[in-house]
Amino acid sequence: MITTVLKLVGRRMLAAIPILLIVSALLFCVLRLLPVDPAAMSLPPTATLAEIEAKRREMGLDQPLPQQYLIWLNDVLHGDFGRSIHLNREAGSLVAATLPATIELAVLAMMLAAILGFGGGLLMFHARNSVLEAVVDMGSILLLSVPEFLWGLILLFVFGVMLQMLPFTGRLSPGLAQPHITGFLLLDATISGRFDVLASAWQHLLLPAVALALAFSPAIMRVLRSSLLDVYHEDYIAQARLRGLSERRILLAHALKNAALPTLTLAGVQFGFLFSGTLLVEVIYSYPGLGNLMVDAVRNADLPLIQAVGLTYCVVVLVINTAVDSLYVVLNPKLRVH
Amino acid sequence: MDGPISRSLRSPRVLLALGLIMGIGFCAAFAGSIAPHDPSEQDLLAILLPPAWASGGDSAFPLGTDSLGRCVLSRLIYGARTAMTVAICASLGAMIVGSILAHITGYFGGAIDWIIGRAVDVWMSFPPVILSLILMVGLGTGLDKVILAIILVDWTRFCRVLRSEVLVVMRRDYVAAARLLGFSHWQTVSREVLPATLPLLITLVSLEMAIAVVVEAILSFIGLGVRADQPAWGQMIADARQYVYQSPWNLLLPVLAIFLSVAAFNLLGDGLRRSLDVRLVESAR
Repeated sequence: MITTVLKLVGRRMLAAIPILLIVSALLFCVLRLLPVDPAAMSLPPTATLAEIEAKRREMGLDQPLPQQYLIWLNDVLHGDFGRSIHLNREAGSLVAATLPATIELAVLAMMLAAILGFGGGLLMFHARNSVLEAVVDMGSILLLSVPEFLWGLILLFVFGVMLQMLPFTGRLSPGLAQPHITGFLLLDATISGRFDVLASAWQHLLLPAVALALAFSPAIMRVLRSSLLDVYHEDYIAQARLRGLSERRILLAHALKNAALPTLTLAGVQFGFLFSGTLLVEVIYSYPGLGNLMVDAVRNADLPLIQAVGLTYCVVVLVINTAVDSLYVVLNPKLRVH
Repeated sequence: MDGPISRSLRSPRVLLALGLIMGIGFCAAFAGSIAPHDPSEQDLLAILLPPAWASGGDSAFPLGTDSLGRCVLSRLIYGARTAMTVAICASLGAMIVGSILAHITGYFGGAIDWIIGRAVDVWMSFPPVILSLILMVGLGTGLDKVILAIILVDWTRFCRVLRSEVLVVMRRDYVAAARLLGFSHWQTVSREVLPATLPLLITLVSLEMAIAVVVEAILSFIGLGVRADQPAWGQMIADARQYVYQSPWNLLLPVLAIFLSVAAFNLLGDGLRRSLDVRLVESAR
């Protein structure tokens, strides 16, 4: 059985490679449409035309587009993402320095979203056929209408400005030095025993993570509720009732297990969206992650950095989707039969 | 008479949503006559005023002023014009591109279906926020560029969902009958398939409008949306974010405006889905 699963998982991973190649080619082409000249931008304004021309040749910009793409792809595969024009640092090391912060935020937000989604879904299911159903239904549509962007601002306003309970800029309070071990702040602070840093990091993570969780949990709630409603039409639920099992036991031991599968798939898809959703929340909370790096690069038309960060986002989302697909194969016995 | 339109108009969600959308649409259409000030007019002696009812407020500026002394109410009203223009043009554009491709791929199948299907797969593996940011870098700022970027990102939503609906419709007997009667491909699609996919199409447009409002706000918030001299809710938020302690209202009001528009379009979409979907309506009877 393990070999079948591995084979299926391997096939999904192989299928992701051509998509990744096309995505990187598209990314490269779109950015070449830009009316800016990276060669001229990386030189001082006093540079002569001949100097710019020499720089263009040095950067390979005089080659045809497919050639340029292959050079870039070759560099990227060797771990060289080029140099940021604006910050004058290796784009790859900039990404490596900010990625852990974003992953930390995304993972925490996803755990919160899963808890809220499953809890809310069960509550919504519990409210079926009662007076509350219409209220809950309407409420979930209104909740779906609040994207992470608005939640970020609302939470910042309520808990940051009005109640002044939580900080809303950056990753740590000013004055606290960040221990550098893995880049994952919660982990680093625990390892080095800096509990003041740990507390501050939690406080700074809370609002952005809750904003993301609130935006991405309503979809999970709705799918859990509708798959529970579907499952309750199945014969084994009626049979469990006939056997005299309590409603609670039917829900938790029989229905939930089967309804969880479609919900997990959707939660996985949501995780992909959530990861790219961190971009805005990071901008709102000035959180030093991949999102702020991206927006910074975009504002300065910093081509090599935009390419590096854009590609990182695509790769992470693709990895998440492939992992979710594979998990689905592992969890769903029906897919294993061939 | 229990047609789809009268059925929709009896749905409380649709009515509530239409009321809200008409209100916002009214502001957008008649912004010039109802806004008390020019939205870019600066009064540097009256910056960051609170709303008129709060202490220190000025009745000339009913909802206060921003960091450059511009009237917040007028900017909200003109921002509605920007948001509604983007919502309508972008969702219709994405609908046209996506649904034409969906009908072609669903109807003909085979190699065309495979090619467009793979294109949608690749396109959707870009996170939408990242793709629209990158497109805006390539296109430059401006209202038309925002609309174009949203169309280029979101045509896939229509294409993917409608394609499966077309496949369902294609299996119906009346489509085969139309082909047997000698209908051309174009006649079959426009007279037999399209009327059956139309309810889904309308619902998707409504939901897409909500998405377009959010995307426009996000791009303007980051500073990559409409031009700086054009009022937009996202811009107002970015400005207010810097002075959030001095004038919290400036942050809250555009957030509320975005929420109301998005909720209205989502409610409309949900209400229409319930009243236009023949299967749902029949099972409820």
